[in-house]
Amino acid sequence: MEKKLQVRDLTISFRTTDGKVQAVRGINFDLNRGETLAIVGESGSGKSVTSKAILGILAGNSIIEGGEIIYDGKDLLKISEEEFHTIRGDKIAMIFQDPMSSLNPIVKIGRQLTEAMILKGKARQRESRKNFNSYIAMLEKRMIEANEPKTAERAAEIKKKCKDFDTFEREHLKLENSYNVAHEAALDACSDLDELIFEISKNAAKDMNERVKRVLGLAAESVSEYVVKEDAPKLTALIGEAKQTLSASKKNPDTALLGKKLSEIRDILTKALALKQPNFLALGYYTAFAKEPLPKLPVEQLNAALRKYLDEHYMLDFIRDAKQALMFSADASYREKEKVIGLLKKYRGVYEKEQLDKKECLETCKLLSAEVEKSIDQMEISKDSVAYTFSAGLKSEIEKYFEAIGNNEREEKRFAKRQAKYQAKIAKGREPEGVPAPASVIDLELVRADMLRQIDRLSAHYEAKLAVRKERDFDAETIAVIDYLKANASGVVNKVTKRKAKNRAIKLMEEVGIPEARRRYNQYPFEFSGGMRQRIVIAIALAADPDILICDEPTTALDVTIQSQILELINGIKEKKKLSVIFITHDLGVVANMADRIAVMYAGKIVEYGTAADIFYESAHPYTWALLSSMPDLDTNDKLDAIPGTPPNMIYPPEGDAFAARNKYAMKIDFVRQPPMFQISDSHYAATWLLHPDAPKVDRPKGITDRIARMKERGKQDA
Amino acid sequence: MREKKEILLKVEHLCQYFKMGRAELKAVDDVSFDIKKGEVFGLVGESGCGKTTTGRSIIKLYDITSGNIVFKGIRIGAGKRSYQNAIRAAKKEYAEKIAAAGESEKARLKAELAEFVAGQQKEIKAAQYDQKRCDKEYAQKQIAFLKEKYLPEIEKAEGTAKAELQKKYRAELAKAKKTRLTTQIQMIFQDPIASLDPRMTVREIIAEGLIIQGEKNKEVIDRKVYEMLELVGLVREHAGRYPHEFSGGQRQRIGVARAIIMNPDLIIADEPVSALDVSIQAQVINLLNELRHKMGLTILFVAHDLSVVKYFSDRIGVMYFGRMVELADSDELFAHPMHPYTRSLLSAIPLPDPEYEKQRKRINYVPLRDHDYSKELPAMREVVPGHFVMCNQEEFDRYQQQLKESQSE
Repeated sequence: MEKKLQVRDLTISFRTTDGKVQAVRGINFDLNRGETLAIVGESGSGKSVTSKAILGILAGNSIIEGGEIIYDGKDLLKISEEEFHTIRGDKIAMIFQDPMSSLNPIVKIGRQLTEAMILKGKARQRESRKNFNSYIAMLEKRMIEANEPKTAERAAEIKKKCKDFDTFEREHLKLENSYNVAHEAALDACSDLDELIFEISKNAAKDMNERVKRVLGLAAESVSEYVVKEDAPKLTALIGEAKQTLSASKKNPDTALLGKKLSEIRDILTKALALKQPNFLALGYYTAFAKEPLPKLPVEQLNAALRKYLDEHYMLDFIRDAKQALMFSADASYREKEKVIGLLKKYRGVYEKEQLDKKECLETCKLLSAEVEKSIDQMEISKDSVAYTFSAGLKSEIEKYFEAIGNNEREEKRFAKRQAKYQAKIAKGREPEGVPAPASVIDLELVRADMLRQIDRLSAHYEAKLAVRKERDFDAETIAVIDYLKANASGVVNKVTKRKAKNRAIKLMEEVGIPEARRRYNQYPFEFSGGMRQRIVIAIALAADPDILICDEPTTALDVTIQSQILELINGIKEKKKLSVIFITHDLGVVANMADRIAVMYAGKIVEYGTAADIFYESAHPYTWALLSSMPDLDTNDKLDAIPGTPPNMIYPPEGDAFAARNKYAMKIDFVRQPPMFQISDSHYAATWLLHPDAPKVDRPKGITDRIARMKERGKQDA
Repeated sequence: MREKKEILLKVEHLCQYFKMGRAELKAVDDVSFDIKKGEVFGLVGESGCGKTTTGRSIIKLYDITSGNIVFKGIRIGAGKRSYQNAIRAAKKEYAEKIAAAGESEKARLKAELAEFVAGQQKEIKAAQYDQKRCDKEYAQKQIAFLKEKYLPEIEKAEGTAKAELQKKYRAELAKAKKTRLTTQIQMIFQDPIASLDPRMTVREIIAEGLIIQGEKNKEVIDRKVYEMLELVGLVREHAGRYPHEFSGGQRQRIGVARAIIMNPDLIIADEPVSALDVSIQAQVINLLNELRHKMGLTILFVAHDLSVVKYFSDRIGVMYFGRMVELADSDELFAHPMHPYTRSLLSAIPLPDPEYEKQRKRINYVPLRDHDYSKELPAMREVVPGHFVMCNQEEFDRYQQQLKESQSE
């Protein structure tokens, strides 16, 4: 399973006037691709702080004391704010707890939804153009270099090929876009029509005139070369007739007739939608270069014919050349890599000397950087992060080292001076205020170790790469290259216009269950109820197509039906887009529905960690028991087991188990020593002394065992 | 099985409309129910369905548009819209009749209409009077009662005993003058942070009602405040603190103490646990449950968390878009939900059981699809004793059929 996010020993505290509040105390967890991890706990247990740390939006008085959050090979706690801009909201999105305060009250909903889309669209367009141009130029160069024998004719041919690729790719995207617009219009019209026809048949359509007009507009838009072609005259006629019916009498249109016309329109559209999509790539090439008109064939045969034409005239050659270029480039880079390994071995000694020479160090670093730069295979699409970060990393460590030398001296001097003053005061018999702060000296050896680690890491990495050299699949890589070019070309052509953004926003709004999205689009947040506002927040979070979605109590303020809808929504999107979700809540009922794995947090620590089944059926920590038994379910009749007291004050975290004071199963050791994580099964861990082999055997509270028995029974009945 | 209990609160055809520009928002539309003494009546529905408005209308935070609210046999709230509508309808009807009728008939019809209108207008006056004056009326009754009780005794007594009696009589009279019937209905609000004044100490917050009611004796106030604090599980020392010094659960306890110090008969609890953590939720629910048995409280419990409502309530009313769609004993409602909206609501409850959750299918409620009201409009009907459903005759028959089938299984 691919790990999306790894949190290791994360420790965060907050500076307050009363002292340091330890909000998160060394938590560890992984988040896999396409899974939901639920973090459960009372307010103040540090669950929100954790999520904010992942998003890099901790409050100003926070101190990150240690640990790392690794996403995409980067440690989110250490990257710069600029780098975070490309991750926050884009790759990792968040749904906040309070929809009141997470929306801008003076900006219309529509604007808030489309703002990011439009901004991002522009940035993406720029980026795509840059990527496409530079890559194709590089490809061209390598293709010519790799070509044997080197003749001017061949070179010219290759140049033309690359240029052609650009041309027909644009043609292809243009065609595909116009198809997509029409196809989407037809799809929308169909779903709107279904609803409208149903409502008209029940005589209960609201704003009928307007909606009919819109649907007719959509239907008209769907007339295009590859969607509604043969039936186009009929459809246009029908649309005209429907409009006439509508305008004949504004107050009381003939609904029966209108319904009939609309059904006919729907039939045409449904038929059109069932058609197979033509192969636009091949079609693009054909229209761009073939001088003949398109052959009249059914779509499938046409696709096959076009594909054949493309392959024979262009693609096979291009692929062959591209593969050759890739192999050539890879060979060159392997030679360079071998050289780099040698150089790294040779110059490692420079950084091992007793007394480092600043000039020598920097010069060697420069030399190595240049060589490493050369050894990077530019043709590889997936960037080699170790090689890319090598020179910057080594350089910053060297600078740190030589800066530290001066700083350490100053610090030591300062400390000596203070210490002397302090001693003098004591000698005089006075009582000085406080002890002089010790000199904060940076350990030079540690910095040096970091330098060496950079070097060793790169040579190990390159050696590993060289070892798997034979196993590289260049065919697959060539295909990937072409896909990459195609994706970038589409990034250039697919401009995010205001209209497109609006349509997408309205779709998102409908997806999250906002009725009359079109009207709502132009409203302000205060015109929405709490549930509706939360849906808007979710829609905004989803607008960026994130990798990881953090939901911080997204449904706590909502009632059951809407809660259930929103959870279904998040689940559905998760399935569809293979999203990883971190779901923060205090409601275990919600978690049972959503979570694949659950982490129960208390006082800044994870006290139990396991799959949903582990936590609900096999829970082992007394806090989890307490949480489970304090909420009534539909069969509860006895007094609820409330957890007595309140969570501890985290300015003075308790010495032993933080839950001990509220725990009726607490033993003496719980007040003295913190329990370690005990492993119960492969996936299930809990931090309680009760799991220690020497601990007395304690049964789960009766409320829970009863409930589990009831659940099992119900499961049997259902089966 | 169902005991006959005294009805404490009776809500009849309650309508609460709000003006929204030219249009009217029917927040609560023709809702009727009654609450028996000592029971917990749960009101559930999605946000915006009018359950909170119902609670607030009962406690007279709004002037109701139409219908009656009868508390302890006294009408405390009344709206006039229904009478106005009746007058309008009658005028229209008679206008047609008069136009069609002969000369001699006309005079008789006109007289009939005038009589009807006068009758309705009298009702409107009565409603307005009750809406505004019910409390004073009640105070006067209390005063009369006191006079009857004390005056003969005072006359009989002599010397110091007489002076003492007179003093006691005057104090009680002053209190009785300020007695309001509606203080016997108290409210617990949803958000414990927003509903407590941050600049008042807990003592001031809890005692405020008593002081307004005319209690001047500091000792009595203190004693009562301490009593309440202990009752809700806080300690005396808390009285001098400010609300921000408490956790969410403790704050909600303060809200409860403020409500029960007035010794109310009815408490309207408007989502008292929705804003709280699970563990604290349990504390507050346990507290309300205890108080209910200890003080014989009657509670109107408004909430959207169905598991909590099921656990806590004796009877439950389900509201949808301002209307009551189903009303039944809580066990009965959960065992045999009839109205499609109730079914949809129940299907949405999440349970702490992953296996069950994986299979749970939410039922959608689409009024247009689920009902056919083109022939006959729905009304509240009693499908089985004590179980009311909003339905028309055809649905009524169907529901009864379903019930029989499920029982025979």
